Amino acid sequence: MARRRRKNRRKDGTTAPLRLTSMMDILTVLLLFLLKSFVVEGEVITPVPGVDLPESSSDAAPQASVVVAIFDNTVMLDGQMVTRLENGSSDDGLLIAPLADRLNQTRAKELEIAQLRGEDVDYSPKIAIQGDRDISFEVLERVMYTCNQSGFGDIALAVIGAS
Amino acid sequence: MNARHSLGRSFRGLVENDLDIMPLMNLFVALIPMLLISAVFLNVTVIEMNAPPEGMADDQEQKAVEPLHLAVTIREDFFVIEGNKLDKSVIDRRDDDPESALAAALAAVVAAHPGNRDVMIISEARTRYDEIITVMDVSRAAGLPSASLLGAE
Repeated sequence: MARRRRKNRRKDGTTAPLRLTSMMDILTVLLLFLLKSFVVEGEVITPVPGVDLPESSSDAAPQASVVVAIFDNTVMLDGQMVTRLENGSSDDGLLIAPLADRLNQTRAKELEIAQLRGEDVDYSPKIAIQGDRDISFEVLERVMYTCNQSGFGDIALAVIGAS
Repeated sequence: MNARHSLGRSFRGLVENDLDIMPLMNLFVALIPMLLISAVFLNVTVIEMNAPPEGMADDQEQKAVEPLHLAVTIREDFFVIEGNKLDKSVIDRRDDDPESALAAALAAVVAAHPGNRDVMIISEARTRYDEIITVMDVSRAAGLPSASLLGAE
């Protein structure tokens, strides 16, 4: 121990500073790895908290789209709660009126942006549904129907892909 | 050279300094937790959906038209495979590994009708989303990548 302590001392008696080079190497690699995870192909969908997505063998990359999350009969649009379905059914048939209103607003806004960019000809509204694995088809069907009625015909179901 | 010689003594007296990387370290220490928090480690993918063929929502029982209209119905206890020119087959879900039996049955249909890529998955109101995704996976693996969802009457 004494010998080692003596080794760390310089000839002039001053203590050698902590060498941070190797730690810097690790941090640099970690930083690059984390930055790389943001620059993946396609769009990254973050699961909405509270939604337990089902697992699937699908490997299709998600595209930039509006996200509807469904869990415990609660419907959220882009992270904001829209409505709560009572027992998954209503007198309005399959249409979920509050969701339809919000989707129409979103579509109008997206169309306006596409027009400003001059991309309105190619504009096709896309939607990704993040459904909890335990929701019933009854709820899913109503959400899909409402999306379709609001002009979001290009529907994708978000799942946890095979890694 | 002469100048260097003349400075030689003062060079010898200097202490070798390491590069001061502490500010960079501070930056990294702040950046890395921030990136770790926002990093997505779950591989979220999607399954593209198709709208069911025209008219099929109203008359699922009508199977006399030309296309195959292959349908897999998810009942509580059974999977039912039916379609035009197809014998109806029923798979008991209480058996061991009903998904493999479904995969085999669908693979047989695909082998008999290689041109068909579509399948309709008909679910009951109470069918869980997880079960629907499983059937879609089985269908895709069997060679039916284009799935559409329908509700059972």
